[in-house]
Amino acid sequence: MDHLDALENESIYIFREAQRKFKDLAMLWSIGKDSTTLLWLARKAFFGKVPFPLVHIDTGFKHPMMIEYRDRMAKEWEVDLIVARNEEAIRSGASPEKGRFACCNALKTQGLQQLLDRRGFKGIFLGIRRDEEGSRAKERIFSPRDKNFEWNYKDQPPELWDQFNTSFRPDTHVRIHPLLSWTELDIWEYIRREEIPVCSLYLSKDGKRYRSLGCVPCNFPLASGASTVDEIIEELKVTKTPERAGRAQDHEAAYMMQKLRSLGYP
Amino acid sequence: MSGQDTLRIVIAGHVDHGKSTLIGRLFYDTGSLPEERYREIERTCREQGRPFEFAYLMDALEEEREHNITIDTAQTFFKTSLRPYIIIDAPGHKEFLKNMITGAAAADAAILLVDGAEGVREQTRRHAYMLSLLGLRQVVVAVNKLDLVGFRRDRFEEVEEEIRGFLLSVGIVPAHVVPISAREGDNIATSSERTAWYSGLTLLGALDSFFPTRDIAGLPLRFPVQDIYVGDGKRVYAGRVESGSLRAGSRAVFSPSGKKAVVRSVEKWKQPALPEAHAGECVGVTFTEELFVERGEVLSEEGEAPLAVREISASLFWLGNEPLRLSSRYVLKLATSEVEAVLSAITERIDSSTLEVTERHANRVENLEVANVTFTLLHPIAADTFKENPRLGRFVVEVGEFVAGGGIVREVRSDRPGGATRVVRLTAMMNTEPDGNFIDLSREAGPVEFEVSPGFVARLGEGEKVAIRLCTADQLERISRLAFGYGLGMTFRRGSEGNRVVLFREGPVSQAATEEGFPVI
Ligand SMILES: Nc1nc2c(ncn2[C@@H]2O[C@H](COP(=O)(O)OP(=O)(O)OP(=O)(O)O)[C@@H](O)[C@H]2O)c(=O)[nH]1
Ligand SMILES: [Mg+2]
Repeated sequence: MDHLDALENESIYIFREAQRKFKDLAMLWSIGKDSTTLLWLARKAFFGKVPFPLVHIDTGFKHPMMIEYRDRMAKEWEVDLIVARNEEAIRSGASPEKGRFACCNALKTQGLQQLLDRRGFKGIFLGIRRDEEGSRAKERIFSPRDKNFEWNYKDQPPELWDQFNTSFRPDTHVRIHPLLSWTELDIWEYIRREEIPVCSLYLSKDGKRYRSLGCVPCNFPLASGASTVDEIIEELKVTKTPERAGRAQDHEAAYMMQKLRSLGYP
Repeated sequence: MSGQDTLRIVIAGHVDHGKSTLIGRLFYDTGSLPEERYREIERTCREQGRPFEFAYLMDALEEEREHNITIDTAQTFFKTSLRPYIIIDAPGHKEFLKNMITGAAAADAAILLVDGAEGVREQTRRHAYMLSLLGLRQVVVAVNKLDLVGFRRDRFEEVEEEIRGFLLSVGIVPAHVVPISAREGDNIATSSERTAWYSGLTLLGALDSFFPTRDIAGLPLRFPVQDIYVGDGKRVYAGRVESGSLRAGSRAVFSPSGKKAVVRSVEKWKQPALPEAHAGECVGVTFTEELFVERGEVLSEEGEAPLAVREISASLFWLGNEPLRLSSRYVLKLATSEVEAVLSAITERIDSSTLEVTERHANRVENLEVANVTFTLLHPIAADTFKENPRLGRFVVEVGEFVAGGGIVREVRSDRPGGATRVVRLTAMMNTEPDGNFIDLSREAGPVEFEVSPGFVARLGEGEKVAIRLCTADQLERISRLAFGYGLGMTFRRGSEGNRVVLFREGPVSQAATEEGFPVI
């Protein structure tokens, strides 16, 4: 079986398993290429109709082009979109100038936690991949979080033969990761094959493009002349720059991503 | 099989023998280590005041780097000119065996690493045994840290002999044994001059000689129902083809219910009429008649259905903190079926590092132990033995919230009047294990039935033989009736190794005879 077909089937199997086992599911849609691919796979798994809502955690720092793309695609694909904001933190002026760790944690992690508390979601699909960074390489496909939202990465339950851990205590939730086995290059090759529309910030303008989409103050475009999906694929085959090089929160301090993620950051 | 299929490799072995280092080095030597990652590792090592550690590519957690130990399994990706690889790092510490198994269960092949200075240690043996239980047969051994023993050939050969001996006792014959230094890069991607006495493959060359194992050719169709979607006036049965292929228009049967159906359509999104689907594909299926079957039922072709199993004998590894107890109830998950089961026998308790049987007819199995056990299921499910079909021949045991153990099915017994009957299936796929065409019934005192597939008879027609070790005269009677019915020859011998029958056939089998079906004798 072709490499992309194998990945696609693996992801679909995970989606269907989660849908069967959990009543209250939602999917995080960050508007980026990964979670948009994830959304595409969900449409495939459920024959075109996504049976759970999509959640966008809006920090208030997102690029207007991301918001425009989000609303356009949500309408075209007829998905149930929830936009969640940690209003209190936004009002009290949370921003990266006061510390990136605190800002990410308040606007993203707590924004998500508030939504889970309010809506009672038991399972959240996330488009993280093992090749993004070290702590994600150690993730399980079904990854339990305790009632404080924390990831106990030092003692994860075993997971084998596609028999996922799906019975959890009522005060916990599970993160479900259908894209763990995909690489950045796989994602782009799949986007090309399936002709999935992506946000235009990924395509080069004035010699720069975003390789990863985040908040405006902490995420920078990288020098690149790749202005089509084909050119992006060619670029990735030779580049030595890691994907998250333009993401300030990954580089601020040693193990910052591990610490953010142990508290519930995607 | 195309050279493009991804191969998944797990690296196993005792703590500190250099598994993570090897992965870092493999990346470095193949130009796959991104510059930025290299500099980040260099910086961290400098801050810690220690020499460059290739292991940090995989050991990314703060706690791992602090103690220079791998805690959890991680996966990473790289490509050779031949194909893409997924490399799975497994922790070597005993305490993290559950993480090692999580990693190894996903692999097609394994590198078993042994420190050339220290030699074979407790987790080397335990990991080797686990690889064998998980059904991994493609194994390459790397004897590491040869820089510490001056690349001495005699030392390498000593370790090679020791590990070969142990592997053989768990049914594994390594494809290669390669002398390496992970830290210094000898025989990883390129041949080393420091081991001029070695003329075999490099480690990378050895990996390129392995095959992906997802799709085992020649197995019959198994399509476990994963979920049922109702809408647009139809019921779509969603699932993944675990083996064989599923064709539109074919006659099929569900197990364990025995319901029969004709496949109307095989579907994917925007592809409502596929002619067929193959192993590994997730599809939706509709049938010409309305039928109501549940998740867990397995679709197969008539005449090749899995048994409706009421009792499973298995080899099991136990990872639970609490012991597995005789006569207790557990939830077993096998493919998409979930069933409550009583642990009705613990025939043997085995030390997973020495392979020693520590107790027979035990009443508990402790953490990290292996055991041969029997579960009595509270309702029947469709299952195969691991030998016949690995995809339906393995299961996990759940305790509370989490998976606490896993097992591979050795024998299945169905639900027939007069007690649990052991059904022995004689198929063409019998010699997938090192013990070849050999069936041991010497501990099977209860009733036995034989199911014969056409492939089995054809196989004997090609000159193969099958030996069966017996327990009762009733078994002999059944086998002679089987031989009579299928035109087979047999010899019976009573010897020091027990009572044995050998089945064979003189001359090839006619086409008509191979298409007769599956009578039960
Ligand atoms: N001299 C020498 N040292 C090595 C070699 N390979 C690894 N080491 C060292 O052995 C130590 C342990 O290596 P790791 O790669 O962390 O071992 P591991 O097998 O991954 O250990 P766990 O994952 O904790 O089981 C490190 O300090 C390495 O630098 C080698 O070929 N020669
Ligand atoms: Mg390690």
